[in-house]
Amino acid sequence: MQFLFRHPLILSSIKILVVFMALSGVVAYLVYMERKVLAFMQARLGPMRVGPWGLLQPIADGLKLLLKEDIVPARADKAVFLLSPVISLVAAFSVFAAIPYGPGGWTITNPNIGILLILGLSSLGIYGIILGGWASNSHYPLIGSLRSAAQLVSYEVAAGIAVVSVLLIANSLSLVVIVNRQQQMGVWNVFLNPVAFVVYLIAGVAETNRNPFDLPEAESELTGGFHTEYSGFRFSLYFLAEYTNMVLISSLAVVLFLGGWLRPFSSLRWLWPLDYAPVVALVGAGAFVLWLGLQSRVRGERMFFAALAILCAALAGVVGIPLVLSSIQGVFWLTVKVLAVLYAFIWYRATFPRYRFDQLMTVGWRRLIPVALSSLIVTATMLIWTGYRVVPLLAANLLAGILTAWMVSVRGAGNRSRPTREAI
Amino acid sequence: MNDMLRKIFLTDLLKGLRLTFSYQRPEATYTEQYPLERPPVAERYRGAPRLNNHPATGETLCIACNLCALACPENLIVVGWERTADRKKKLTTFTYDLSRCMFCGLCEDACPVDALELTQDFEIARYSRDGLIWDRQMLEEGPEPTRYTR
Amino acid sequence: MTETTFLDANELVINMGPQHPATHGVLRVKLKLSGERVLGSECVIGYLHRGVEKIAENRTYAQFAPYTDRMDYVAGVTNGMGYCEAVEKLLGVELPPRAQWTRMTLAELQRIASHLLWLGTHALDLGAITPLFYTFREREEILSIFENYCGARLTTHAFRIGGLQYDLYDEFENDIRKFCDDFLLKIDEYEQLLTTNRIWMGRTQGVGILSAEDAIALGVTGPVLRGSGVRWDLRKAQPYEAYDKVEFDVPIGEHGDTYDRYLVRIREMRQSVRIIRQCLERLEPGPIFGKVGKVIKPPAGTEVYHSIEGPKGELGYYVVSDGTVNPYRVRIRPPSFVNLQALDKMIRGHLVADVVAIIGTIDIVLGEVDR
Repeated sequence: MQFLFRHPLILSSIKILVVFMALSGVVAYLVYMERKVLAFMQARLGPMRVGPWGLLQPIADGLKLLLKEDIVPARADKAVFLLSPVISLVAAFSVFAAIPYGPGGWTITNPNIGILLILGLSSLGIYGIILGGWASNSHYPLIGSLRSAAQLVSYEVAAGIAVVSVLLIANSLSLVVIVNRQQQMGVWNVFLNPVAFVVYLIAGVAETNRNPFDLPEAESELTGGFHTEYSGFRFSLYFLAEYTNMVLISSLAVVLFLGGWLRPFSSLRWLWPLDYAPVVALVGAGAFVLWLGLQSRVRGERMFFAALAILCAALAGVVGIPLVLSSIQGVFWLTVKVLAVLYAFIWYRATFPRYRFDQLMTVGWRRLIPVALSSLIVTATMLIWTGYRVVPLLAANLLAGILTAWMVSVRGAGNRSRPTREAI
Repeated sequence: MNDMLRKIFLTDLLKGLRLTFSYQRPEATYTEQYPLERPPVAERYRGAPRLNNHPATGETLCIACNLCALACPENLIVVGWERTADRKKKLTTFTYDLSRCMFCGLCEDACPVDALELTQDFEIARYSRDGLIWDRQMLEEGPEPTRYTR
Repeated sequence: MTETTFLDANELVINMGPQHPATHGVLRVKLKLSGERVLGSECVIGYLHRGVEKIAENRTYAQFAPYTDRMDYVAGVTNGMGYCEAVEKLLGVELPPRAQWTRMTLAELQRIASHLLWLGTHALDLGAITPLFYTFREREEILSIFENYCGARLTTHAFRIGGLQYDLYDEFENDIRKFCDDFLLKIDEYEQLLTTNRIWMGRTQGVGILSAEDAIALGVTGPVLRGSGVRWDLRKAQPYEAYDKVEFDVPIGEHGDTYDRYLVRIREMRQSVRIIRQCLERLEPGPIFGKVGKVIKPPAGTEVYHSIEGPKGELGYYVVSDGTVNPYRVRIRPPSFVNLQALDKMIRGHLVADVVAIIGTIDIVLGEVDR
């Protein structure tokens, strides 16, 4: 028995299975969260009809997609058409092997080139989009996939440069080391290099094809972009891959900039009550659910909410055991931070219009990349000059960021006040 | 200066973000959960037609003057009558083709005795055209209202 | 053997519509593209043709009024008002003041409702989903006022030839005053989301420029014309109802691009609120119907062209009488149809994404284009 669990293959398989299952569930309910948050921001209620407060909506959606007809257009390149959603999905999911979910054994694998592996694998997902759009043999998907190819490639550059400045600070490519380094320094990287964080976040939104950069699937222009011709199960694969990518980008943002699994102020011992946050959160969730149940007039709904509240209470009890509490710490804080970043993604979607394609390129190449580069150079210089000191790094980065932003946005090229249209 | 702030610190975007964030308060929700909450319908609402009876005697108010049929742009009202012994018109049949009705209210306006009325009943959608030609009985008694329960 | 596919051609012809989320109904635009740049376009219309003008020849004057609501179905009140006024002009009927002020109040509310729908869908086309829900919320308030007044929300049939069928309901003035007060704050919210937003400015500024000369040459009217900097508003130029007795400004744009047209419409909504408030002050008890007989029979051979400033531009009715109860001919000049002709002029040289913005900025309703 001992041997079995020690064997790396078996242990890894179990971990992979757990992560895969958990991720699928998270992604399904991410869609629910998105719909709810969007709805509340738009003075609506969102899904309310399937289950109490629409809680079973993701299941209904998944079932619907599975049962729908899987149409392959007559003149499509069949093999590529069938394969490309799978490429997207596999790329999106396999990346999670290298994400550290907590200290110690809470990773599937911890390669010393972790960040490279992740960037490389996630870039493979673009093939799924390009091939899918091309294989559909149709106008709108083709335009959508061309757009997304150009977009992903250009924003990968900005995101990559932003990541490099983090690597300089951590002096390692391993994600575990990057987080540990933040613990040693006593501050998260976002406070050392906020400019890189902002650049990474913007580029991350663009890489996940989210509003305001959702051009590849701009439904009002391209009716659906690269997945216009997809339906049923294959569409759901794309859908899943897209939301998985969202989770990935926000997990990476958290690991690189927001201290990964670290508790806020993890270097301050006297803030130990924060360690009990998981328990408090679960109890709070239970109380909220109970309150919802008391509001409801439908008997089935009340039962459902009561059961949910009991479940929360039981979980809170389990988590309250000191051993469990200490081991679950990392995952809890990581989840909370990832959810916060995901919330920001949804928030952007509720607020902003969509960029046009040429503007998207302008933002990527003429704004983000110079800002990221300046932050990289300044970080490197400061690291050599003053060493790992928080205040000089932060001050220099902010200064450089603002200066570059001023140069590229106020004085930069491509910034005519009212461009006249070009003649044909 | 303001313009520079806007361009560097993205204040224009933050302004929008603040607005959408503030809308998450529960009282800002405008949704009406229709089958659960019935919307209040205006008094003058032009919905399903009804042929009124005299509340006391139960006799029809309609004097079979045929004005509604003449007023209707779609010619969907057919009034049938017969002459009684004292040469008065007496209503026999009244058909109203609801499938062609656009609820303009001209028939209601034309009626000199408030017999024909468009009521507040708005749930008159059907899955098929069958049964959308309402006869006198249907018009007097009104359709069986659908009640949605959960 | 090689099959020639569209991939081999340098020019790509794509069909936008008739089923396309951004063509506001069933407009079909054939676009000739080079990459994403538009080389030329052709509008195909008629998918929503219902023969409204022919219907008019087989209805009495009063019976035709409800059909007008169904042309520009987001501005039923103004459509009906234009028709009623045209026939009144034909008959030479004078309206009592109460009817005039009521008509103006409702017409301006309808203008706001139409602009709100335009704003929501236009922003949605450009990727901002939230304004749609906010604008529809306010539009809902206006529709409730319509419902309370005349019993229908969309196809209102609010006015009759010669006056009003319905007198005001008790809470009418309070409802509208409350709406006006709230609404001004709501416009600020839309502006917070869009007006200074860099993405919005980027998407609309310099897009779809229409010079004043072109606009006049194409016969474009309404906010599209005013966005190009021509101060032409029928409410000022040839006042109907009692528009000469109220004060309001006619906002115009400078650059003639999509952003200017956006600003023009936003300002117009504020001006409409101003007009509504003045109307409510003038509203006094009195008769609501002019001297019109039961049977409308204009003298034979008379004809009239009457146009009003609809939310989308000049809405004209040309009515010819042959002395019977039915009009001999009703010709409608729909603003959307004429404004749509500027589309090709505006989209040449732009990207596909701009086509969506420009279709949105013209503010067409296909029910009116096709009739």
